[in-house]
This record gives sequence, structure tokens and C-alpha cells, in this order.
Amino acid sequence: MTRLDATRLIVARAGDAPIVASLGHPAYDLFAAGDRPQNFYTWGSMGMASSIGLGLALARPDLRVFVLDGDGSLLMNLGSLATIGLLQPSNLVLVVMDNEEYATTGGQKTPTAYGADLAAAARAMRISLTATVRTALELQTAVDRARPGEGPCVIVAKVQESAPTVKPPLDYVAIKDRFMAGIRTPHSALS
Amino acid sequence: MTPPHWASGVSAGIHAAGSRDVVYVPDHPLSHVLRELEDRFRDVRRLLATREEEAFGMAAGLYLGGRLPTVMLQSSGLGNSLNALTSLLLPYQIPVLIVVSMRGDAGEWNPAQAPMGRAVRQILDAITVPHATVESADAAADIVRVAGTTAFATHMPGACLLPRRITSAAGLQETRESDPRVGGMRGPTA
Repeated sequence: MTRLDATRLIVARAGDAPIVASLGHPAYDLFAAGDRPQNFYTWGSMGMASSIGLGLALARPDLRVFVLDGDGSLLMNLGSLATIGLLQPSNLVLVVMDNEEYATTGGQKTPTAYGADLAAAARAMRISLTATVRTALELQTAVDRARPGEGPCVIVAKVQESAPTVKPPLDYVAIKDRFMAGIRTPHSALS
Repeated sequence: MTPPHWASGVSAGIHAAGSRDVVYVPDHPLSHVLRELEDRFRDVRRLLATREEEAFGMAAGLYLGGRLPTVMLQSSGLGNSLNALTSLLLPYQIPVLIVVSMRGDAGEWNPAQAPMGRAVRQILDAITVPHATVESADAAADIVRVAGTTAFATHMPGACLLPRRITSAAGLQETRESDPRVGGMRGPTA
């Protein structure tokens, strides 16, 4: 399963739910898999995707919130797992696209290439619904298990690099405004 | 215990700015604000983060979902926050009310706090985050409220700095007592 295959599957299962993507290849693959208003593409702040998704999940318990993170990105903000374990947002589904390398920067290996286990880290931080998946069928089963109200859920998807060729637009404010309209954010925040 | 006047003002200012979500990394003076929020503003959600940058990431998500977030931190944590501020909040124009408990300014006892304490305003200027200083306990509520409403209206993070001479009126006395060269380790507060 490539990261693009996995991303397409998530987009197909997400319906109208918001998807927050970590910078670089995860965001590029989300754009390639299906650009939609409910996609929030980060273009910087490596490590923050899971935190953005957590904040969004807390703000909008009516929505199931998906995060497409990278292994390198999550390792940059591993404390996020402790905070998710503390706050237990039942509508958050954190998918770690674990290709065991920093693909966006040239393929340097990450600690997961040597056995670091991010699903075990999530369980250790009191996130009870976790899975490590290697095939599309396993990923689909794991996503379907993470029904609204059942989370938080961390899915580590072992993926092959898909070498993305397209990128989302660089207009950050347009990405934000379209996203907030796409998830029908109440107007009070748009004052 | 009667809360310090400045802490009541900061809590009231956060609430008056419309913020109902406070993401924080703990700090001794800020514990008074947290207690005030718990006692007097029960509709404000207090959310603990493990690190300041994470707090800003959570705040960004809260805003995307329709909330008006506050981040409370000690000035030492500003350094940890710069990546999220400069490559998420500023380019995407995501506003956050930032309440900063100062270390390293007048009354500081710990030299390790001094370099960042001295640099806070210059760093905020360099990354174009507006900041106001709470000059007196009486002014706290207004300054915090206006910083928040301005941030949310202009889609820019905005900071309020709480100097140590306001937050640690007793702490200035403590400074001398806690200097190991003067005697005793009682009372150094983080």
C-alpha cells in the first residue's frame, strides 16, 4: 500500500468529515487523492497536525476529525499523544502515514525504521483504540472501527512512498477560509 | 484564599474577549488565573498542553472549529512556540490571545531566565505579533480584553505580558530570600 492508496481510502471513508494533513508529502497526497473544502493543508509547523486536529475535535464534537500525520512529524511532537490520551476526544482519528523515512527531505530514515512503535506509544499514553496496518483492507477495517464516539483512535499505516507530483495551492488564507466554510464553522469566529 | 487582584483582572479580560478555551502550560503565577477561571468562569475550558508549541497548534484547531482561543504560557516557552507562530498562525491568519507570564524581568532570581526574558518583546516585534504590557493590576482586565478583541477582529495573534512586579508582588521579597547566597532556598517560584 502506498501513502497515496491509503490517503485515497481515508478520503473515501471520510465523507464530509474534515481532514487535517501534515506538511509535505501527506498534504500533497491528500490534494492528489481528492481536493475538497474539508481538507486543511498545512504548509509549515511540522509536528502540529495532530494538535490542530485535537483542537478541532474539541471545538466540534459533532464532527469526526481525521488527521493525516507523518511518522517524522509525530515524532517531532510526541507529547501530543499524551495530551490526546489526557483529553480523550472521542471523535479524533489520527492516521500516521509511517513510511519510516523523512521522504519530503530526501529519504533519511526515521526511528520507526529501527523499530520505534508509534501505536505502542499511543497505547502507553492511554489511547486505547490503536492499530498498525499494512494493507488497504486492514486500514479500512481500522477506520471503520473508529466510529464517531469510539475514539480517540491512532492508526499507524505502514506505507510505501508514493512520490507525489502535485501540490495544493500556497494561498494559506484561502485554504483556511474554504475549510472553515466547508465544515460550517459558526460565523462568530469569522468576525 | 483571596485571589490576587491582577489574576482576577486577567481572568475577567479573557472572558470579556469572548474566549472560552484556555490552552496552557503551567507557570506559578498563572496558577492564580487558572484557579480564578475555575472558580468564577466555569464556562471557560482549561486545556493542559505538554509544550508551548503544542498549545498553539491546539489553539489553531480550536479556532478553525469556531472557538476564540487563549494560550497562556511562561515567557520561557515563547522560544518553543516560534515555529507554530511563524509558519501556522501568522501565514494562515489564525488569531489567538496570548497571555505571557514574564520571567527574567525585574525581580528575577534565576539567571537562566534572563536572556529570554530580555528578548521577549524584541522577538514578538521581529515576528510582528503585537504586544501590550499589563502595567498595573487595575489595568489587567482592560488590557487583556482589548488585546483579545483586537486579535480576533484582525485575525492576528496578540500578546499581553504580565510583568513579574505585578504577578509576584510577594515574589519580589521572595527573590532575596530565595537567593542561595543570601540564605535559604525557600520560595523560588516557577
